Amino acid sequence: MRWFWLFVVGTSLFFSSASWAERKGWQAFEHSQQAVQNSNFDVSYVVFKGDQVTSFRWLHGLNDGQQLEQLIPLDSGGVDIVRQDKIVYYFTPDKPALVTFSPFIKELPALFYKSVDALSQLYDPVSGSVSQVGGRSAQLLRLTAFHPGRLNYWLWLDVETGFPIRIDTVSENQQVLERWQVTHFLLTKELPDPLQAVLEVQFPEPDTRRVQRPENPELASDYQLAWLPSGFRKVDDPYFIPRLGAPLLNYWLLTDGLHQVSVFVQHSNQVPAQAYRDGATTIYVQSNEQIDITVIGPVTLDIARQIADAVRYD
Amino acid sequence: MPSKKQDWLSAAIDHQGLSDEQLDDLLQDQDLQDRFERYHLIGSAIRQELPEQLPTDFSQQFAEKLSQEPVHQLQASHGLLQRVKFGVRRAANSEWFKPSAQTAIAAGVALMAVVGVQHYQQPGAQDLMSPLPVLQTRPVAGFASPVSLSQTTVDSRFEQQAQQAKLEQQARLQELLNAHHQQVRVLDQAQILSEQRPELKDDQEPDGQL
Repeated sequence: MRWFWLFVVGTSLFFSSASWAERKGWQAFEHSQQAVQNSNFDVSYVVFKGDQVTSFRWLHGLNDGQQLEQLIPLDSGGVDIVRQDKIVYYFTPDKPALVTFSPFIKELPALFYKSVDALSQLYDPVSGSVSQVGGRSAQLLRLTAFHPGRLNYWLWLDVETGFPIRIDTVSENQQVLERWQVTHFLLTKELPDPLQAVLEVQFPEPDTRRVQRPENPELASDYQLAWLPSGFRKVDDPYFIPRLGAPLLNYWLLTDGLHQVSVFVQHSNQVPAQAYRDGATTIYVQSNEQIDITVIGPVTLDIARQIADAVRYD
Repeated sequence: MPSKKQDWLSAAIDHQGLSDEQLDDLLQDQDLQDRFERYHLIGSAIRQELPEQLPTDFSQQFAEKLSQEPVHQLQASHGLLQRVKFGVRRAANSEWFKPSAQTAIAAGVALMAVVGVQHYQQPGAQDLMSPLPVLQTRPVAGFASPVSLSQTTVDSRFEQQAQQAKLEQQARLQELLNAHHQQVRVLDQAQILSEQRPELKDDQEPDGQL
């Protein structure tokens, strides 16, 4: 009987400590989300994808309770992205601006903007050690995927402010596919100066009627996607169907709430199976006599291949 | 005083050698350097080596003309404020979704562009598990120009065709990658619009415009 009680106490201690660790992990993560969403800051960061390095300046502030954010690529005269609360503007030289409605800038790590409830369906947080990153003390937090095939995240969060300093996107076999690293950050009390200038600009009124939903082309309905990776669902009504040089036979957009995967079906070019990597994004092309299937998204090659295999012709 | 200097300078021009001291003098004394240039010019004139119709003060004249040229301020890109003003004037989302706009996206908006995709073929499924080649990307203002065929030393016609096919495949994949990024950008659009204006659903026009 005594052994039984010892077992019960031991088991309950084990599970309560596990859930306590999980709670602590998500608390630290939420703290970092708050820092990203509710602070005024001027940050520079770089993204490493294989041999490629790109750098950005990221400004964020609160003005009258509204979030104002700007993302500027530093490497070339590319796009300037400005977000006012839920409206995102993409400005390019000499071209019309793109105005989209989105709660965050999609070029930033989506992790910061997804609810812990949603993320806890996909990931288990495991706290690691404290180390020095960029001259600051940073707490390591590993987000380990429940499902095989989903990429893991290792986050280093500034001990003092909770601000994320580094994020590694890690494959199942612990290979770092993509690294996001802050090189300089400055938290300010007031709105950063460059954003003050943005404030003075009159942006277009968010007139929903001006945001046209494009007429989507008819797709061949004979193709079906017979399998989805764990946690993923099809987006039933994608806002638009991409229009490409080569016509699309079918298109699916898959999401698990955090990641998105595109599946394109096109006429066959009779190319051998190919796979490429753009940081954490896998690009997999599979061809047969009738069709080319291209899977693009942050999934492992194995999952991408299974998705391509699941395209059926009825 | 000058005659002594003239002597050794003149001798030097006739390839009779310079002492270290004289060389130091020459390197430090602007007057001597001018004289040295003049002697050479005289020598060249006597030997009829001067280029035709090129005035002796050509460099000075050129500098004067250059200084009179208007100054053009070259800027790589507009500042944000200009871009914003431009965007406000011409915000036209529908164009972003037209086929031609895809090219524009590839050219201007996409943060990524393939520079040189390494071709990857595998005979069997087993090889797929080996590490993937890295899709080489870089942020661009315009579409990255792939490796020029003229720069290669490929003689074989067959290899050139293979190279061409590779470039076409690379451009096709770049287009798909851009389309994927664009999908992610507008993913939440419908939901946010319906949250902001729930009555829109009833107002929806038959042509699909919101």
